[in-house]
Amino acid sequence: MTSYLNISGLKKDFGTFTALHDVDLDIQKGEFVTFLGPSGSGKTTTLMIIAGFEKATKGRLTIEGESISDLAPQDRNIGIVFQNYALFPHKTALDNVYFPLQMRKVKKTEGRRKAQEMLELVGLKGFEHRHPKEMSGGQQQRVALARALVFEPDLLLLDEPLGALDKNLRESMQIEIKRIQKTLGVTTIFVTHDQTEAMSMSDRIVVFSNGKIEQAGAPLEIYHKPGTRFVADFIGESNLITATITNVATRSAESALLGVMTYGDGAVDTLSGGQEVTLVLRPEHIKLSREPIAGCFSSTMTIETIVNFGDSALVIGHRDGTALRVRVPGADVVILKEGDDCYLNWTEDNVYLVTE
Amino acid sequence: MNQTMKIIGVLVVLFIIAPLVIVVPMSLSTSPSLQFPPPGYWFGYYVQYFQDPSWLRPMWNSIVIALANTVLTMLLVVPATFALVRHKFWGKSLANIMMLMPMAVPHIVMAIGYYNYFGQMGIVFSKLGVVLAHTSLSVPITFLVLSANLKGFDQTLERAARSLGATPAQTFRHVTLPILKPGLMVSALFAFIQSFDETVVAIFISGRDAETLPRKMFDSIRQEADPVIAVISSLLFLIVFAALFAPLALRGIKRLSGRATSPSTTRS
Repeated sequence: MTSYLNISGLKKDFGTFTALHDVDLDIQKGEFVTFLGPSGSGKTTTLMIIAGFEKATKGRLTIEGESISDLAPQDRNIGIVFQNYALFPHKTALDNVYFPLQMRKVKKTEGRRKAQEMLELVGLKGFEHRHPKEMSGGQQQRVALARALVFEPDLLLLDEPLGALDKNLRESMQIEIKRIQKTLGVTTIFVTHDQTEAMSMSDRIVVFSNGKIEQAGAPLEIYHKPGTRFVADFIGESNLITATITNVATRSAESALLGVMTYGDGAVDTLSGGQEVTLVLRPEHIKLSREPIAGCFSSTMTIETIVNFGDSALVIGHRDGTALRVRVPGADVVILKEGDDCYLNWTEDNVYLVTE
Repeated sequence: MNQTMKIIGVLVVLFIIAPLVIVVPMSLSTSPSLQFPPPGYWFGYYVQYFQDPSWLRPMWNSIVIALANTVLTMLLVVPATFALVRHKFWGKSLANIMMLMPMAVPHIVMAIGYYNYFGQMGIVFSKLGVVLAHTSLSVPITFLVLSANLKGFDQTLERAARSLGATPAQTFRHVTLPILKPGLMVSALFAFIQSFDETVVAIFISGRDAETLPRKMFDSIRQEADPVIAVISSLLFLIVFAALFAPLALRGIKRLSGRATSPSTTRS
């Protein structure tokens, strides 16, 4: 399958600082892709280059095979929702949404009708004549989305649009954005540093770090098969255990913390004895018990802190001064006490190996 | 304690604004000289003012000079402010200081400078000379008002406009300009008032032909304490007052009528 948006060899220098090193990425038509990474990882720079606000030092951008690298922002036909929405304060909701059509010389009656329809799609019927300052954050967000979609853009870019909303509103907007994106089938790039947002909304997640793509894949693939130590650490919670390979044939490694461990799957196939690796053990894959569970690998730790979330609890313990995290169902937490010693139990399928 | 502070506050305000409003009863006075409180009231001096060409001509001069000054100041300051607020370039801090210089230098010093300088150029005692001098005096306040506005302007709005299909020129016309309009109006108003009020430079370089109203008032008060001066002062006071409060009043009216005619804006 040929890709819709193709990014190849993208590089960006700011003076002597390199913000992006050779980024390559293919995005399919209609796909919802999330750029995830800490601040300064290059995700926003990439977005700004796609939008045309920053010029790449090197590299090529094409949509359906046509290069857009040399086009001015207004000629790219890309809709953007900014972090602060960037609604025009002197225009009503309807006029904000009509603006891109006005710029495209669409007749006033037809343009306003289209703008009206788009406002209805985002659930703002009846708010046409409000000014941005007369609307709530969530409503402004919807206007910004309508404005970025009304001209049927080739691409929709969302730059951390949910950052300013409170938790409940953020969750409902996640569902709303996803619904609208599916309805219109528009190819979308969503930038965020919030991994739960990335997990719940994306078809594919692209993890950025230090100006490079660390890994690109479906949300569950990224979660269960992290390509690097950084991804394992950044996505979800992990116990990262440094170990040395002792026997490739029996898939064994020796760690200072948990002794000899057998690993299941891994990010790389070719390993050699004596190689330094990182073993990833997710907190929800560990079972806590008073006595070791038969058929499992077991080790002990002392419980230090229990953080309750109601439906589940995070138990943080330590072993030889190193913190270990275990997530237990909410019902099980009543039998645990801070200061108790307990057993950690896991199977080899729960141990994932990364090298970088 | 709180009550006492309030009373002191009111007294201080009254003390400060008293000289501003005292001219109004004086302008309606029947006394042949400036005198307070007036012995009686009439409109005679207003009639006298509007019939005397030696008063009307300076007023006309002042209006023409202030308008020309406003246009010229805005033409210079608007682009300069955009450059100084939005761009980095060599010598920027020096340029910033230069913009504010006329505010720091005493007017009398500038007046002497202009008198000699314009004298050699042959434009002393002309409207052109006064307009040029007033423009340099108007630059600092106009620049300060406008740059405060421009600094508060969110440039993401311009990016948004570009992404929505607007060229840089369309972005300026549909987004930047309308949003900055109140700031532009206020800074233009300040430029106008600055020129309309200016006395020191006008005394030195306006001469007979370009005589401005404040200069004429100064001359006339030196010769005779003519109550017509109180009339002009009252008129100036009212004009400036109206100019400053008109936008506020307009906004109030708009809001009231908006509420009455479009129920959709208040529906939730």
